[in-house]
Amino acid sequence: MNLEHSALEQYVDMAELLHRVEDDRELLMELLALFQEDFPRLRDALHSAVDSKDPIQVERTAHTLKGMLANLSVKHASRLAANVEIAARTGDARRILEAMAELDREEQGLVAAVESFIAGVEP
Amino acid sequence: MKILIADDEEVSLRILQKILERNGYEVIAVRDGRKAAEHLCDPDGPRLALLDWVMPQLDGPSVCRTVRRKRSQRHVYLVLLTSKSAKEDIIEGLESGADEYLIKPFDPGELKARLRTGLRILELEDNLLEAREDMRYKATHDSLTALLNRGTILELLAAELNRERRDNHSIAIALGDLDHFKLVNDTYGHVVGDEVLAETGRRLLGSVRSYDFVGRYGGEEFLIVLNNCCSDTLMDRAEKIRTAICGSPFRTSQGPISVTVSLGILAGHPTDKRPLEEVLCEVDRALYAAKSAGRNRCCLAPSSQRNTPPET
Repeated sequence: MNLEHSALEQYVDMAELLHRVEDDRELLMELLALFQEDFPRLRDALHSAVDSKDPIQVERTAHTLKGMLANLSVKHASRLAANVEIAARTGDARRILEAMAELDREEQGLVAAVESFIAGVEP
Repeated sequence: MKILIADDEEVSLRILQKILERNGYEVIAVRDGRKAAEHLCDPDGPRLALLDWVMPQLDGPSVCRTVRRKRSQRHVYLVLLTSKSAKEDIIEGLESGADEYLIKPFDPGELKARLRTGLRILELEDNLLEAREDMRYKATHDSLTALLNRGTILELLAAELNRERRDNHSIAIALGDLDHFKLVNDTYGHVVGDEVLAETGRRLLGSVRSYDFVGRYGGEEFLIVLNNCCSDTLMDRAEKIRTAICGSPFRTSQGPISVTVSLGILAGHPTDKRPLEEVLCEVDRALYAAKSAGRNRCCLAPSSQRNTPPET
């Protein structure tokens, strides 16, 4: 399992993540699988909160998403989720949409990288 | 050591669970604040917790407040683990009752070190509580016989007399004195005398019910408070105490010794408003009468024969 030279490294600070999981590569794979499972649910919940113009729910969901991404050392996307959280706190709809658009752009590449990484290492 | 982790975010929950289990913790993982509070408020629940801030049902600070309000027996070491990193969040989190505040994403080394700090504090509390309990026991018990000491048995007797008058139930008092105990000391020495006193304590405790009280009143005098004791059974119970002492010889380091006890018995009555001192004087007179009548017997105080306590 070559974690250090994958496309995933574009998104994930692999050294930091490996340190966090105490070099347990099996756990790391388990976490990525959890991400695959949970991320679409959170992303859909976030979009749905934005569509319903519910800034409190947007803030809350963006906060959870930010935490998940930070735990996986997906630093840039985590900062983008934080921007959505901050924008939601201001209640400014235009700022929320702008922050969401940036996050959406980033997440497409991230999801694809996680998918191909998992597919590549699975027997 | 049990530890509770509460987080509605699966990745965080899984990393924490794995790291903590690897370090010997018994992990209870929940995904909302209400469940976390339920576990932590349970007197047998975990005493160490990692709480996320933003959670369904109840947020982390609310869990801290709930735990601090409801559970006071033993300290629960609460760590807020959150990505909220603003100064005002940290202050609010600690003010809510958290002992420690850690910011996500966490460093596993730091997390483990912070938890060890928590364990040290809990251990310190355990030691203090144990020392307090030890002191409480020593302050209320006689070290030789392990019975209640004079101060404590008198306090309990006063409380039971008040309760008898208030709740209209009946108690009885027995004052026992080992017969010819001085002879035991003079013949076998004080070490054997102490052995006899210790064995007397054990036999007295074995002859009463769990809700009766037995105390060492003086050198070889013992005061027994028999709760819920009606006149019909009073003398049978007193005889049971007497025969517990004389029923078989005491085994001592100097061989078996026959020991007997004389007992003054007083049946309490809810209408008896006499102060404690007078009640004790009367039971003491009954004890004296038992001695005068030849020892190794129970003698009922005169007021017990006049007042018939109600049946219970």
